[in-house]
Amino acid sequence: MPESIKTLEYDVLVIGGGIAGGESALNLADIGYKVLLVERDLTIGGKMILLSKVFPTLDCAACITTPKVSEIARHPNITIFTGAETEKVTKLGEHRFEAVIRQKPRYVNVSDCTGCQLCEEACPVSVSDQYQYGMVGRKAVYIPFSIASPRAAAIDIENCTLCGACERVCPTQCIDFTQTEERFLVKVKSVVVATGFELFDPLKIPRYGFGQYKNVITSMQMERQLAPTRPYNTILRPGDGKMPDNIAYVLCTGSRDKTVGNPICSQVCCMYSIKQAQLLMGALPMADITIYYLHIRAFGKGFNEFYAQAQDMGVEFVKGKVGKITEKENGNLILRYEDIEAGQVKEAEHDMVVLSVGVLPNRGISETFENQKLELDPFNFINQTDILASPAKTSIEGVFVAGTASGPMDIPDSILSGGAASAETTSYLRRAVS
Amino acid sequence: MEAEKGKTAKYLKAKRPVPKAVTEHLKYFTRTKKALINALKEGEKTVPQLAEILALPADEVMYHLMSLLKYGFVETGEMDDMDEYFYYKVKDHGKDKS
Repeated sequence: MPESIKTLEYDVLVIGGGIAGGESALNLADIGYKVLLVERDLTIGGKMILLSKVFPTLDCAACITTPKVSEIARHPNITIFTGAETEKVTKLGEHRFEAVIRQKPRYVNVSDCTGCQLCEEACPVSVSDQYQYGMVGRKAVYIPFSIASPRAAAIDIENCTLCGACERVCPTQCIDFTQTEERFLVKVKSVVVATGFELFDPLKIPRYGFGQYKNVITSMQMERQLAPTRPYNTILRPGDGKMPDNIAYVLCTGSRDKTVGNPICSQVCCMYSIKQAQLLMGALPMADITIYYLHIRAFGKGFNEFYAQAQDMGVEFVKGKVGKITEKENGNLILRYEDIEAGQVKEAEHDMVVLSVGVLPNRGISETFENQKLELDPFNFINQTDILASPAKTSIEGVFVAGTASGPMDIPDSILSGGAASAETTSYLRRAVS
Repeated sequence: MEAEKGKTAKYLKAKRPVPKAVTEHLKYFTRTKKALINALKEGEKTVPQLAEILALPADEVMYHLMSLLKYGFVETGEMDDMDEYFYYKVKDHGKDKS
């Protein structure tokens, strides 16, 4: 069968539908530009939509993200492709870009899906739920999570047994296994790269025992446990379901660590760990929380007060570098660490350990640019060629960067950066008119 | 082959056989689900108790039990006397069809 490729035209292509890309798309669309928002995942909202609360205000993350996400989804000037990847981008000249977008089959007609979840109930398969970071299962046909946008089912074809049970129960007959991959040639005048970040994988530090010791979890797993749409009935140890009462945080896991190839500070781990500690004290009033840190970096508005508040609440802060974690028979963990202030190597027992994992660049986007080079900085984030005067500018005129694609930053800074990218894009597009 | 609406899984199955690992995984889950529900039908239990009865690692029991909680086969009961572990029990008789 010959492959047909449809041609589409927009003013701006925004790559990445997280909070930064979403903000850029929304601003541009409000001005009147036609925007195509391409998201690799099945839902927009990025990592923020999965968080429990945000620091230092302790506002509910979902309550901030959801209205924004629905505004993006409903905007007449924004077209969204989810489950789609940007294959290549070519600059033909100023204000003339061509991109090839690959839309993977979802096997569900999104416009017909009502989100009733009868298919989920019927599906016999259970595999690891990536949106709960592997702590619980999900079906092979699934709605990513309750506040996903679009809130529509998708089929995980890799794990589907093609039993057809979902099709038989679907009241709108929206499931369609005949769907195939589609490719689009998209002509745009400008591009915003908002591809976000990856989290550090603690399997790269075997001495912390992640993966081997089940009560050592990542901060993103704890974030899910603290969220209202949590994987368990409450906060529990994944190793045996015990309610923890003595939790340790290991800061700088995969940040400021040359041995794992990431020498820079991730900027958010201190604060999100302090936030989680405060939330844990609320959820588990009897629990002791200890944070092992190198330096607490509480540089933002209200951050230091937030840190002081955690200290007042009784969170223990130990200036120490954790060298090794070992497991006891009962699932408790022994942390061997250097107490920096005492100048001694010490050991402490905790019943659960949270590794505060760092922010890494989301690799691969620069390779999609064909005839001009989208330069990276020494840490493989997208290089901001004029960081002080024009922070969204990249090495390609007409391609702008938003959010953590350019480096670690927190949510307010990501949104600001998305705003800057939309403003700089507008300025570039206006130059086309004159 | 023209696929009939509502019966398209067959169409794809003819084109793309299901890998053996996927069917094996389904069998394993179904077996574990049955074992967990049967154990809970005899009375509510904690994760370590279930791990002992099923002779499975506690983390695996936890993962599958929490999946069954999510899918609506199981519900949470009281905490044990030491305030450490929750008891879990079958919901709606484990939906019986399992």
